[in-house]
Amino acid sequence: MKIKVKLVGLFRSELFKEECRDYPAGARVQDVIEDLVLPQKHLGIVLINGVHARVEDVLQEGDILSLLPILGGG
Amino acid sequence: MKVLTTDPAAQAASVLYKRCTIDLQSGETSFEDLPCRNLEDVLGGFGRSFQDLAQRRVETAYCDENPLIVNTGLLTGSSAMTGMRTYFSGYSPIKGSKKGLPSAMWSTGSGKFGAKFKWTGLDELIFENRSETPIYAVIRETEEGPQVELKPAEKLLGLSTHDKIMALQKEYADAHFAVIGQAGENWQNVYMGAVALSTENQLKSGEDKCRFAGRGGMGSLMGYKNIIALVAQSADKLKPLSSEVKKVNINVVKGGGSTRLQPISRGGGGGTWAAYDVLQAFHAVPLNNFRPQGNDLPEKLCRENVEQDYEIKSEACYRCGIACHNNVYEKNADGSRGEFLAKFDYEPLNLLGSNLGIHDAGQAARLIQLGDNYGMDSISLGVTISYLLSYNERHPEKPLLNGASFGDYEKIRDLVIRAGEGELPEIGRGSMRLSQATGETSYAYHVKGLELPAYQPETNPGYAWAIAGGHMSMATYGLLTREGKADIDSWVKGITQDKLHMVGFDMIGLCKFFDIANGIGTQMVVDCLKSEFNLEIATDDIRAAVRRAFLRGLALELRQGYSKEEFALPAEVYEQPNGHIQLPQIATPEFLDELQKRVWAVFEPELESLSL
Ligand code: SF4
Repeated sequence: MKIKVKLVGLFRSELFKEECRDYPAGARVQDVIEDLVLPQKHLGIVLINGVHARVEDVLQEGDILSLLPILGGG
Repeated sequence: MKVLTTDPAAQAASVLYKRCTIDLQSGETSFEDLPCRNLEDVLGGFGRSFQDLAQRRVETAYCDENPLIVNTGLLTGSSAMTGMRTYFSGYSPIKGSKKGLPSAMWSTGSGKFGAKFKWTGLDELIFENRSETPIYAVIRETEEGPQVELKPAEKLLGLSTHDKIMALQKEYADAHFAVIGQAGENWQNVYMGAVALSTENQLKSGEDKCRFAGRGGMGSLMGYKNIIALVAQSADKLKPLSSEVKKVNINVVKGGGSTRLQPISRGGGGGTWAAYDVLQAFHAVPLNNFRPQGNDLPEKLCRENVEQDYEIKSEACYRCGIACHNNVYEKNADGSRGEFLAKFDYEPLNLLGSNLGIHDAGQAARLIQLGDNYGMDSISLGVTISYLLSYNERHPEKPLLNGASFGDYEKIRDLVIRAGEGELPEIGRGSMRLSQATGETSYAYHVKGLELPAYQPETNPGYAWAIAGGHMSMATYGLLTREGKADIDSWVKGITQDKLHMVGFDMIGLCKFFDIANGIGTQMVVDCLKSEFNLEIATDDIRAAVRRAFLRGLALELRQGYSKEEFALPAEVYEQPNGHIQLPQIATPEFLDELQKRVWAVFEPELESLSL
């Protein structure tokens, strides 16, 4: 299935800003993170189609998955 | 501190702290070893100073009865990582109720002044009344204990924060400094004066790399009292690192809690600046006076774009392994590092950058540097100017002051300089007073008279209950954005239970980045207290003390005349909802009303049983 992956902040500078990628049906957010070898310690926010989600959530064909670093402090 | 017990929760009076009180009018100085009243006193910082402020009825910040309390926390000067905080407390010139009464306030900063102050043997310094002439105070260790001497400060007048520190450094070896800038000297017209604290890096490099206790105008209060600077002179007295504290420190650096604040080169997240990227993904980066437009403009100040033209170096306060400072330097033509410009933290960068319509990193850096050198709180300064620019945009036929508009760097720069020189009380006295004067208060982005930090209030109704200005005294800023919580129960719980614990760091002497998610009621803090002082404290006792201190802050706000209606977000947020922000719209009148009812239902019974 096709998933549009959007990366933010330091994830983006290491890889890409936005890319359409193929994953097997039933893939979870965690599978994408592992596939991209993203540093999990920096992962703060997961959005599926703009809505907050969890790493164990299962993706559907055509989903837009955004992976953002942690937000904290000022 | 004299610690004569192992159980400070049950026997607080067996912990004594050394206070020096100086009457600036008479020059009299007295020293006392005072028994702690409770665990808040033991922990220190605002937990102690607010109890003392509560004993005074102060109706205007600039009066003899308003003290300036300088103190530290229990772990300031200890070997616990980030233990460098100094606290400045008093009734605030800028934060006040609509009744016109000043609010009790503290502000805090790192740098090495706090540790040096502690190492002189003093825990607290209270300035009473005001000096007729400008003075600075030298606090030094002697064989008989700490001594404080007042000296004439005429020679320091008119210098920037950095230049004052450099001038004092020539005279005082082995010392660190807390100074005001020209803004604090012009306290009549500047209520947002900050206190600048020297850093090791600054003293060694000669570059203007101070840290700031900015919020609430404690630098202006210092200026009113005619105290231009404080010098803390002592040998370094860091205890040898015990294996327990070493373990904690390693956990602070490697355990994950502070990872996002550490340098990218070390596998960290790059400091608070990274908030730009995260918030921009939701179009929630403040732009043009907190009105994000759903465009890409804020991205110009994201790190990946700035580092193309500037050199960014990660640096740290004394012995801090978190190294959260992103210091920005010019890049020379040959690619080498040029002149130091400013430290890019999220708040000043946004509020003196995108939120003023400034999208050029060099210009934003120059504004940050100017504000720092004049010694103004960058949050209050930025937000008051953005209010003015917004007013001018709405009234092109009759703009205020120099007619500056969003993005007009030269005119904005002129505003900063003239505000710092005390020539523009319209800016220097903050957005609440300016908006009251124009009669257009709905888009003045302050809560309870103190300007908001750079998180859209639409995303953080918890601001209303912050007791010391925004996100650092009420950590609900990520509840919607980070955690996705849009239901009322989560918000009531966040405000009344979990997120208020952030203020504990402003008691104990540690930087919030020590463990920003969990506060100070943790095993890490317990281990440090055991190792440093042989104290046995339960995490629950620490949490209870932090809660009491927070509630005392709320109670003091109510006593200073705040009505419940003032615990509110700027009206524009719900009168003109911003459809560009891609997050659930929780800041509706209905949600905010319900939140008011439910939060006060939790706090009120506790406030009734709390004696001030
Ligand atoms: S976390 Fe940052 S501000 Fe705090 S002590 Fe370390 S370097 Fe300084």
